[in-house]
Amino acid sequence: MISIQNLNKTYTVSKELVVPAVRDVSMEVEKGEFVIITGRSGSGKTTLLNLVAGLTRPTSGKVLLDGTEVWSLPDKEQSLLRNEQIGFVFQFASLLPTLTSIENVMLPAMFGKKQDEKYSKERAAFLLDQVDLSDKLQAFPRQLSGGQQQRVVIARALMNQPQLLLADEPTSDLDEMTEHEIMDQFRGIHQETGVTVLLVTHSAELGSYGTRSIQMANGEIVAAGAQPDPRRAMTN
Amino acid sequence: MNLFELAKRNITGSSFRSWMVFFCAALMAGFVIAATLVIRGANDSLRLALDRLGADIIVIPEGEEQRLKSALLMGIPVHCWMPDTVVDDLAALPGVQAVSPQLYLSTLRGATCCSVPEMFLIAYEPETDFTLRPWLEENLEGGLALGEAVGGNLVYVPVEQGELLVYGYGLDLKGSLEPTGTGLDQSMFFTFETAREIARMSSDQAVKVLDIPPRTVSSALIKVELGVDPQQVAAEISSTIRGVTPLETATLFRDQREQLLSLLNSVVALLGITWVLAMALIAVIFSLAINERRRHIGVMRALGARRTTVLQSLLLEAILLALAGGTVGIAVASLAVYLFRPLIMGLMNTPFLFPAPLQLAGLGLGALVLALLGVTLAALIPALRISYQDPANSMRE
Repeated sequence: MISIQNLNKTYTVSKELVVPAVRDVSMEVEKGEFVIITGRSGSGKTTLLNLVAGLTRPTSGKVLLDGTEVWSLPDKEQSLLRNEQIGFVFQFASLLPTLTSIENVMLPAMFGKKQDEKYSKERAAFLLDQVDLSDKLQAFPRQLSGGQQQRVVIARALMNQPQLLLADEPTSDLDEMTEHEIMDQFRGIHQETGVTVLLVTHSAELGSYGTRSIQMANGEIVAAGAQPDPRRAMTN
Repeated sequence: MNLFELAKRNITGSSFRSWMVFFCAALMAGFVIAATLVIRGANDSLRLALDRLGADIIVIPEGEEQRLKSALLMGIPVHCWMPDTVVDDLAALPGVQAVSPQLYLSTLRGATCCSVPEMFLIAYEPETDFTLRPWLEENLEGGLALGEAVGGNLVYVPVEQGELLVYGYGLDLKGSLEPTGTGLDQSMFFTFETAREIARMSSDQAVKVLDIPPRTVSSALIKVELGVDPQQVAAEISSTIRGVTPLETATLFRDQREQLLSLLNSVVALLGITWVLAMALIAVIFSLAINERRRHIGVMRALGARRTTVLQSLLLEAILLALAGGTVGIAVASLAVYLFRPLIMGLMNTPFLFPAPLQLAGLGLGALVLALLGVTLAALIPALRISYQDPANSMRE
């Protein structure tokens, strides 16, 4: 599903200061895996996730999604690939404040190939129901709690039935109880849909939610769990 | 949900920014339409006045130049006389194709025998006339008979009187000429025969006799032969005929035209400054707004929005604000110019013609397109910058 080959990403702050964010990372993620990448702040895990999604260009190395090198594609196809195959859950409040919950969930449908508006609306409502927010369809983000907002984001990530779900610190701003609720939600989605999940977190204890855990430090993979049977998590 | 709806939500979601851009667009479009209406209105008015005269040269008694201009531009009546032999002298000059005399008269002020006080009256000689003839042939078959008149665009028959009284003589108003925005719009035209009949009857019907000195005319309109320079003919008139002043119509309103040109230069400079400032302000507002929404734009890209989609979405906001602001600006500016016409004419000391509705719509559309381009151009740079940024960079703190 994902093949990362000798991936490097450096940020040039000034002529003298070049910061390596990801250093020579190579790894494979099989279809249906639930991989959790842990590491401290600044360890390069978010950058790695962005590189996988094609949200930032690597300095060197390759990212192949189902054999396609993301950065070899022109913007139109790269955007379509993100739209159809990847679902995103971000660390920050990523809902558009001027749109209601259901409109936010429908957003990926708007950017992709033309879809029937009625179908999009029904699917968005269904997804919001799946994350227990059927009573908040018309609520604006400011009217929702942090946990509820993140659940809307999860519903949005699933709108176009992606093959890959990328989550960047999805529980960082939440209390412990909500954190586990959200993680349970990810596990449930993984079990029900078989979607491949790549989740980044600074919390090592959340590593147990995935089928595999990888640890990063200083832009490198410092510990990688063995590649287990992807279906292990489903029976957890 | 579509891009249009998204743009609309973003506009209403940030009311202060939207109002600022709206105001700038209104200012840009309003200024353009107001400047165009004023400059074009004055220029059109002068051009139409010259067209109405239809002559290459007007010969008037010496020293009456300023008063004649006031009469033609502002409708302030002028009384001047010169011997009618001048007409024959002029006709005999080389290069002169046609000469037609006119009488300049006026109604009385505060007299019941005149429907309209101090109206500029022009009498023409039908046999030689070449200025009114084209209009008369087109609109009134056979021209004007005794007792008939045509008026400028603002001349009408008072309802309570049922006829237009001039020195107690009831004139039959046969039609109205196209508007020119000048004093000619408040003037009335009839034949020499009618003028003399009014003068004859005035001793019985009017509170004051209309006095037309015998064997005199007020002016003589000259049409030069094809290929002849009117300036040459005017010079010939000055050197051969005493007591008259030849005025070339092409340079008749030179002062007004020069004043207009100078006004145009000032307006263009002011317009340029206003537009540069407004566009800079719009660019800053859009930069701030885009910076504020940077993360959400990054999210849109991550969700599959193409660069062009982001660009379209941001430019659509600019376009909607430009359309709304521009339309309001054009409407307000046009209304203001229309309502303050007399003030504008007074300040500029030129006549002024407000365009016909269809013309106004065309000018408004032009101003709207300009405002649209201006606002879109101002928003383009920040919009391009964000849409071509890596989504990850956009989402970074």
